[in-house]
Formats: sequence, C-alpha cells, structure tokens
Amino acid sequence: MKPHDNRAWLLLAPAAAILAFVGIVPLMTVFNYSFLDLFSINDPFWVGTEWYGDIVSSPRFYASLGRSLLFSALVLLVQMPLGVGIALLLAKTGPWRIAVLMLLAVPLVVPWNMIPIIWLGLINPHTGLVGQALAALGIGFDYKFNPLHTWTLLVVMDTWHWLGLVVVLAYAGLSGIPHAYYQAAAIDGASRLQVLRYIQLPKMGGVLSMALLLRFMDSFMIYIEAFRINAGGPQGATTFLSLDLGEEINAYNYGPAAARSMVYFLTVLTVAWAFRTLMDAHRRQEQQQEVAA
Amino acid sequence: MTRPRSSPGGTGMTGLVLRLAVFAVVAFFILLPLAQTLLLSVTATLEHDGVAEGTYSLVNYRNIFHSGPLTASIFNSALYVLLNVALCLVAALPAAYAFSRFSFAGDRHFYFLLLTFRITPPVVLSLPVFILFAQFELVNTPVGIALVHCLFNIPITIWILESFISALPREFDETAFLDGYSLPRFFLKHLIPAIAPGIGVAAFFCFVFSWVEVVFARILTLTAGKPITMAINALFGFQTDIGLVMAMTVFSLLPGVAMIWFVRNHIASGFVIRT
Repeated sequence: MKPHDNRAWLLLAPAAAILAFVGIVPLMTVFNYSFLDLFSINDPFWVGTEWYGDIVSSPRFYASLGRSLLFSALVLLVQMPLGVGIALLLAKTGPWRIAVLMLLAVPLVVPWNMIPIIWLGLINPHTGLVGQALAALGIGFDYKFNPLHTWTLLVVMDTWHWLGLVVVLAYAGLSGIPHAYYQAAAIDGASRLQVLRYIQLPKMGGVLSMALLLRFMDSFMIYIEAFRINAGGPQGATTFLSLDLGEEINAYNYGPAAARSMVYFLTVLTVAWAFRTLMDAHRRQEQQQEVAA
Repeated sequence: MTRPRSSPGGTGMTGLVLRLAVFAVVAFFILLPLAQTLLLSVTATLEHDGVAEGTYSLVNYRNIFHSGPLTASIFNSALYVLLNVALCLVAALPAAYAFSRFSFAGDRHFYFLLLTFRITPPVVLSLPVFILFAQFELVNTPVGIALVHCLFNIPITIWILESFISALPREFDETAFLDGYSLPRFFLKHLIPAIAPGIGVAAFFCFVFSWVEVVFARILTLTAGKPITMAINALFGFQTDIGLVMAMTVFSLLPGVAMIWFVRNHIASGFVIRT
C-alpha cells in the first residue's frame, strides 16, 4: 500500500496550475457562454437554455451524431482487428519487427492537415499513383460527388493514419505477457486459438481498451481531415459532429457554439467515465484471478 | 523445449511466408502515400526560373529557403514544440512521482481529470482558449501554443513517467533520502538518470502530439508566429504550387521520423493509461 500523504498535492501543483489555466477556466467560460446570446463579447444577453433546446430539437444534430457514430464504428471494426492481428504476427518475428513498428509509426508524425493533402495527391486521376492506376483500370473514383467514395476514402485514410497506434499498443500489451503463461498453455496442449482467446486477449485487455478509447474519441470527433477532404459533402453525407461545431465557430455564433461544445464535452465525460468503470472492473477481475491462482 | 512454438496461421514455412506477405502488404500501404509525397516534392509542378513544369528537380526544396514565411514557420514550430516538451516534463515529473509513491485526497479524481482532458477534442475548447489567451497576450506567440498543448500532453507524460517510476523499488528513494539528499537533488541526481528511457518516450509522445496538432495552432496564430502546418495551408490559392506543398510536407515529417529512430527500442513500452 502507498502511504497516505496529502502533501503530495505540492508536487502536483505545477501540473494542476497549467491544466486549470488551459482546461478548467476555458471549460467554465464555455459553460457560461452557452446560456448567453453574445452578439459581441461585451454585450451578453441571457437566453437560458435556448441554445440547448435548439440543438436537441434539430434533426440535423441527430443526423450528424448518427454519421459520427457510424464513422467511429467503421474505423474501430477495421483498425482494431487489423492492429491486433499485425501485433500478433510481430510478436513472433525476429529483430526486424522494430523496422515494421517504426514504419507503422511514421503516419502518426504527419501533421493532421497534411494527411488529407497527401491522400488527395495520391488519388488525383492525373498526377496521383492510385488515381492513375484506377483510371487505367477504368474505375471511376469520384470522392467529390459519390458519398460512398468519400466515406471509403475517409476510412482508408484514417486507417493509414492510426493503424500504427493500435499496433504499437497491442504489441506493448503482448510483450508484457510473461513467458510462463505460454509454457503452461503448451503443457496443457492448448491450441493456437485457445492461447489467443484465454491468454493473449485477456492479458492485452488493458492496453486494448486504451486503444479503443483513443481511437473512438479521435474518430468520433474527426475534424480537420474530414473537412479538408470534402467539407462535409457531398450534400452533407460526411458532415460529422465536429464539422457542425467548426461551422458555428467560424460564423462567430459564440452562444450556440458554446452550447454545442458543452454537449460534446458531456459526451466526452460520459465516455471517460464508462472507460474508468470498465478498467476498474477489469482490474478487480485480474486481482481475483491472482488470488485464486 | 523440443516442442516447436506455434505461430499464428500455421507453423514453420507456411507461417513465415504468411507473415512476410502480410508485412509486405502493410509496408506497401504505409509507403505508397509517402512515396507519392516524395515524388511530387521533386517534381516542378509550376514553372520556376527555366525549370519546366513536370520535370524532376530540387527546385521546390530550394524555394523553401527562398521564402521568408516558410523558413520562419519551421523555426516557429520547433520553438513551441520544444517549449511544450520542456513544460510537460518539468510539470509532470513531480506529479508522476506523487502518484507513484503516495495516495492522497482526490487522487482518483485527478486521474479522471487527466483522462478527460486527454480525450477532449481541441475544437471543443478552441473558442474560449482563444478569448482567454487574447486577454493574456498569448496569441501569436509560441508560448501560447506550447501552453495549450499541455492540455493533452501533461496527462500522457504523467502516465508514462509514473509507470517508469513505479518500476523502481521504494528502497531506491529511501536510500537516497538516508544519504541526506533533498527531494529536488534526489530528482536530479538519482531519479532522472534512472528513468531516462521513460523521459525519452514521454518526450517523444509530447513532441509528436504537439507537432501534428493544428486546431489550437491555427486559432492561436492569426497574424504571426505561424507554424509549418499553417504556412503550408497558406500556400493554397488560385494557382497552388503542389510540389512546394509536398516539399514542405516532407520537411514537416523529418523531425518526427528522427524521433521515431531515437525511441525505436522503447516505442512500445510505458504507454499505459492510469485511471
């Protein structure tokens, strides 16, 4: 057990001060603005919960919410199995697994607004490698006006961008499993699938739920990449939650934008809370297993 | 053990061939957009001083250094990213130590705050951060961006450093204190050298997340101090020199790739979210 000592807060003070300034104060400001009509910042007018009422009663909000959820679901369905699969293969690979990991990490260091530029260059039918190949094969790829093609491009691009994170985390989880577990499984004659089902996946549970959390939040609130590809089009087919918010901020609608920010932040809070509950349950289960063993 | 270790998707040769095939496909998928970027960056996409459009040349790279805003932006980006890494490490190290060694009132709540701030999308806070920072004259300076990026980088740094500190036995601290070390001296002389790889990994993640972030970086650099990302955005116009854009993109990748090289042996360690 760690000793209880409230003086530890002194060590926390610098971090707490910075987070209060860049996180808590802005949040309180948003909360405050969300009840005001701010034609200009110096001329506030109390409107109560009007902005919130507008949001929850607008069909557009639910349509955007549905699209964001669908996008996150697709992203997770593609990236989680793929990332875990690659990590499983890497764990059995020699020293050059480091080379594969490094390669997969490269898209992570590309600035976010560059990613759509790179991909638009790639699928350009005149100068892009993929665009020219598709044109030569007679496949018309029209991300501007075909919603299915825009969605495909967004999911593939996002997978390119983030697959490395899932692989790195899954690989970290795998390399933390003591060798004794595999030996015990081998003695019991466990099949490859049984090892995956009863040893690897449960032992990776912690890092995998972390990958799930990070990938869910980042895809759910995807902004700059989606905006740059088709600005929410064609005809709103890729208008996600954050694009609605971006539009209101750019139009200087401070009040409604603040209310929307609050709604989104409450979503974040719910997700974070659910994640913590999940992790606590996971930890209790592990402790029980250790006691039983 | 005489029993051959099973590998996914079969044993022996089949497994090896399958693995190589998968890695080849993955490498192709990752490298293709990068190859495209490199290719365009060495192509003259507009005519420049006698270099005809469509020919291969290094004219784009030369043009970067002839453009004041572009060279300035490289400096701006480097400045706020390094400042952010320094801020995060200095603020997070004592915090990580506190979490690793003590329990205290509200520690679980603080963890929850860290988790929440890490996953809060910047676009949600961009408006009030701008208004607040404008009042403190933190707009158009690298300090402002370095500060606001702490929002998501301090949580990561605390998590990573804590997992490295917790790997040290408690006796490690106690011996030093018995030898008469004060807490700051213990940090400098013992703790930091002992968790150097952890500091490297934390610096890597701070660097990367600060380098790639664009929402805060855009809203806080309206008229001056523009980072690389915004300088590239500014290149788009009526007649975009896409070759120059790609050359700048290649440039914007170099520090990140160098960082990956430095932490390659530790990249998959220590990144564990605490709740």
